[in-house]
Amino acid sequence: MSTPTKTQTETTNRQGLARVRDLWNDYLPYWMITPMVVVMVMITFFPGAYDLYLSLIEEPTVNILASEFAGLEHYETAITRGGAINSFAITVTVVVSALLLESVIGFFLAAFVTGVESSRLKSFYRVLFILPMAVAPVSLATIGRIMLNSEIGVIPYVINTLTPLTAPSFLSDLPLLTVILLDTWNWTPFMFIIFYAGLSSVPDTLVEASRVDGAPLWRRYVHVIIPYIKPVVFVAVLIRMIDLFRTFGVVYGLTQGGPGTATQLVSINIYEQMFINNAPGVAAAIAVVYLVFVIAIANIVIAKVGFEGVWD
Amino acid sequence: MATADTEPGSSQRFEKGTRETLVTVARHAVLLTWSFLVLFPLYWLASMSLKPSGQANSLPPDWIFLPTVYNYLQLVQSSDFVTAFANSLLMVGASVVLVLLIGVPAAYVLSRYDIPKERDVLVWILSSRMLPPIAVVLPFFIIFQEFNLFDSKIGMVLMYVSINLSLVVWVMKAFFDGIPETLEEAARVDGATRFQGFLKIILPAAKPGIFSVAIISFIFAWIELLFGLVLTSFNAVPVTLFVYSFIGSRSIEWSMLAAASTAMIIPVAIFLIAVNKYLAAGLSFGVVIKE
Repeated sequence: MSTPTKTQTETTNRQGLARVRDLWNDYLPYWMITPMVVVMVMITFFPGAYDLYLSLIEEPTVNILASEFAGLEHYETAITRGGAINSFAITVTVVVSALLLESVIGFFLAAFVTGVESSRLKSFYRVLFILPMAVAPVSLATIGRIMLNSEIGVIPYVINTLTPLTAPSFLSDLPLLTVILLDTWNWTPFMFIIFYAGLSSVPDTLVEASRVDGAPLWRRYVHVIIPYIKPVVFVAVLIRMIDLFRTFGVVYGLTQGGPGTATQLVSINIYEQMFINNAPGVAAAIAVVYLVFVIAIANIVIAKVGFEGVWD
Repeated sequence: MATADTEPGSSQRFEKGTRETLVTVARHAVLLTWSFLVLFPLYWLASMSLKPSGQANSLPPDWIFLPTVYNYLQLVQSSDFVTAFANSLLMVGASVVLVLLIGVPAAYVLSRYDIPKERDVLVWILSSRMLPPIAVVLPFFIIFQEFNLFDSKIGMVLMYVSINLSLVVWVMKAFFDGIPETLEEAARVDGATRFQGFLKIILPAAKPGIFSVAIISFIFAWIELLFGLVLTSFNAVPVTLFVYSFIGSRSIEWSMLAAASTAMIIPVAIFLIAVNKYLAAGLSFGVVIKE
């Protein structure tokens, strides 16, 4: 009696398994892409929508429907008392100057290293120059605090003893410049390594042809090499720009946005509104504007660049 | 200059020779200067971590000193540091595994199937990186408290996944694009299913890409401070937050701080050097793929 039932269940099991396997194989691309889409929706649409909601209500409540509509009150507060405009200006200053410095220095370093004849020396420089990226922004803030400290710092000491100048107090007199230079130290490797890869991909025949023309070095770069690696340059600049808008750790570790609000990036302003001033509405209002701002700029750059010649 | 170069002549050649030497010298001068700028802060931090605390801050600096591992011993003995370091290893490691499990199959689909508006989809994926973490973390701070995920390792793992997913998808799509489809078609002729082809043919071929994207994801999560600052308080504190809290304390013990920072840098530096061949591909989101 028991034998037939056993085989019966076995067959249904096998059938069920086969059906699952078919379902898996028939809809394979959907299974494979769905988790990514779910996570992406969770981390793109959801935070933006929630920030927007938070910025428009009086106070966050457990029951979402019970919250009171506040209009644009928080946006007004952000501008009048929240220092939003000031922090946007500071962020743009940091992003533009650091991006410029990192791109220019990174490009020259990449061009110089590409030109080094000995391949052993070349890989030595390549490995050495990426090292600063190993330093977490918060550790970089540590290094900054140690080396720039006006009492125990070695850099003010060297300036004071070896030059006739008196060292400025970096963190209180030149906080913004210090932040920009530290970020440049930290992330120039990023530009360097991508530019280096781009420059190494320039075919020798192209360089040779322009050399035969007798064009001087700089003109070879401007007319032949840079146009050739333009897509790579644009992508590097785009990704670095996006990441620069995320800057937080180095500034928070170094100055916490101070002295006063001298280095108060938007990200630090939002953090302080939320966790120090206890004003989630104002924090969310600034966050919403910042989201729109960053995405708009990035999309303008993408539209201009178009990724032409990058993907196809 | 251009005309001078085209004119033949021995004096010309000599002049050109000196100019080339000058260029070479200038190039090495610049490269050595930058090498110094890169190495000096790292050297300074490391040497400070090896000095006894009394000697650490002395100016003029003691160039010659007896290195001591005392600071590191103290660091290892403070349970806070060990916990934070282990937390970071665990959370970041788990996030890398998870982000690969989610991102790699999705990248394969984006590479092999006809996706409507593929370009817009890719830009949308990239846009997750455009969202400043502070704007993302604000809603999650409130949600996490509702769902008891605040100060939990799982919550932190999810946040780390969120910063690296776009990177994994982009880089792996570019890698898969570079692997000829004939490879898996041959396997399918032999009776393998599409999924088997993906597992047994494509994944091994894409190993260098997976390897490099894993390490770069590890690094981006490892250096993250904000998530720890906002979403943890005690149980899931990452090592970045430990270092930060050191800075925040009233009287900073410099040599200990230096030791903690150095300990944080060393594993990442080793990873970076190991992966330096594929670094460009990873950092440019797969656009620059080095053969």
